[in-house]
Amino acid sequence: MSEATPHLVVRGVSKRYGPTTVLDHIDLTIRRGELVTLLGPSGCGKTTLLRAIAGLAQPDTGKVELAGRNITNVPPHKRNVGVVFQSYALFPHLTVAGNVAFGLKVRGAARREIDAAVERALSLVKLGHLAGRRISALSGGQQQRVALARAIAVEPDVLLFDEALSALDRKLREEMQVELRRLLQDVKATAIFVTHDQDEALTMSDRVAVMNKGRIEQLAEPRELYLRPASLFALNFVGLSTRIPGTVLAADNGKVDVETKVGRMSALGNFQTGASVIVAARPEQLRLGEQGEANSAAGRVRSVVFQGSRTLVEVDAGAGESLLAELSGRDGAIPRVHDEIRLSWPVAETFAFPMEVQT
Amino acid sequence: MTEAALPAPVAAPAVDRERLTAIGFVLPSFVIIAGVFALPLVLLLGVSIVDANGLTLAHYKRLLGTPYYLGVIWNSLRLGLLTTLIAFLISYPAAFALARARGPLRSVLLATLFLPLAASVIVKAFAWTILLRSDGIVNETLMALGIIEDPIRMIFTETALIVGAVNIFLPFMILPIYAIVAQLDPRYAEAAATLGASPVGTFFRVILPLTLPGIIAGVALVFSLSVSAYVVPTLLIGEKYPTLATMIAKAYLLAREPGFGAAAGVVLLGIAIAVVALSARLSQEPK
Repeated sequence: MSEATPHLVVRGVSKRYGPTTVLDHIDLTIRRGELVTLLGPSGCGKTTLLRAIAGLAQPDTGKVELAGRNITNVPPHKRNVGVVFQSYALFPHLTVAGNVAFGLKVRGAARREIDAAVERALSLVKLGHLAGRRISALSGGQQQRVALARAIAVEPDVLLFDEALSALDRKLREEMQVELRRLLQDVKATAIFVTHDQDEALTMSDRVAVMNKGRIEQLAEPRELYLRPASLFALNFVGLSTRIPGTVLAADNGKVDVETKVGRMSALGNFQTGASVIVAARPEQLRLGEQGEANSAAGRVRSVVFQGSRTLVEVDAGAGESLLAELSGRDGAIPRVHDEIRLSWPVAETFAFPMEVQT
Repeated sequence: MTEAALPAPVAAPAVDRERLTAIGFVLPSFVIIAGVFALPLVLLLGVSIVDANGLTLAHYKRLLGTPYYLGVIWNSLRLGLLTTLIAFLISYPAAFALARARGPLRSVLLATLFLPLAASVIVKAFAWTILLRSDGIVNETLMALGIIEDPIRMIFTETALIVGAVNIFLPFMILPIYAIVAQLDPRYAEAAATLGASPVGTFFRVILPLTLPGIIAGVALVFSLSVSAYVVPTLLIGEKYPTLATMIAKAYLLAREPGFGAAAGVVLLGIAIAVVALSARLSQEPK
């Protein structure tokens, strides 16, 4: 099978629990060997989508295909998926090796084959020396690795991670993100991560699906997701931004002029004149002083947060609006709190989104 | 030199005080257990190995060498084993149903389980005699419905005995199993399924081993209660099914043979201890 053929296809999958729509006609296609993250706040449906793929939740409508097979009505034990749960769900009555061997044993694999696969899986996660240990004798990070080895050992068609790193402490989590990505690429696994952690999503995935209210708002590569958010929700959920509401004065060929309380601005977007919009820009696009083809606004510095290689500066632009700039030391002097400054940012990096009606 | 020697005399009294406190806490329960449980058992053991002529094993020889008494021991074991087995078969699915139940249903189910514990065993056993006798509710109902013409003999049969014993001791099986099942993370079964285990495979490889501690606790409780039951066999089957418990009562109250009664008591205790010790071993995690 070539790399480009769809490996996992989710088509029109919906799921309701009582009056709540948890999944709203989800379409998602994943290529073989791709690492995809479902990113969103709790209750957005990401875990339910993962469970629908695993067969642990039955969708009301729609279809799931895996490796060319329609698995919509196939029970989980015949799907050949691997799941790493948030709580790991390692079997406490079995040893590390017993846990990793479980999937092969229930498939009736030969003893020698099982031993070889267990050894291979445990050495992948660098836990070969703990094969005989009890689960309760392991640290959280080690348990995470055993859960991964157990899921990998059966060579599943897709690996599903349900908030699998969230139980680890920050430092360990960041190490595991990098290591896990490398490991999954090495074994050419197709994997889906569910997380609410944007850093995890950006670090680990080839593509990120931002989910909100049971829908995928944007499915894009991490870089594109950050630089070209498709919706206000995606803009808010991934990364920081300056957001100023306004009204469209003029619209022309993918560009709009917007009247805001802190001045007139130009932004990318297609709207009708008179539409209510939010003008937004990423903090690293904001610079001190004026620049050409740029929007600008002035105000008084409210806070300065030093973060090592960069400094976050929040400016009170008046009329209840604020600007957020990320300045690096190379740009010159970093302003101090209460300084009056002017910030500008390129029109080409300014987006306009429809004002969201709060429900 | 003095630096190294200094900490020792300072630390020693602290440790001693800690030990004294620990002993102080343990002492009352030790006194109660020693005085109320251990001492009578030692006396029981003592009485069982003496007669008018001094030390003897005659009581044990009589008990273990006479076919009739071996039959009595077998009756007790049979009552314990059958009651435990049937109670387990009913309790295991019941514990899962209880754990799945939500809200008011769960409260009602738990209440129906706990309430009978408040009634005396004698009351419950008598209730069964009323239900099961020839002109009892069960026979009357079956005859009224035309299912049978003549009353079935139920009371004073082994069936009545086992039905009554199972009913009375059932909560002691359900509750320990329920306590484990209610704690069981549903993710274990899901993990097993995604790894390729069928529902049956998941049950035998994951659910059953993980609930084993509850099963063992329930089995130990119900077996030791039913093997030594006195009221239940007396009221529901009577003379024709002598058990160790009913025989001990007779040895003391009617035959005035405290030595023989004590020996039977020691054997009964031995059976119960063997089962509890075996359960404790089984419930220890392997390796």
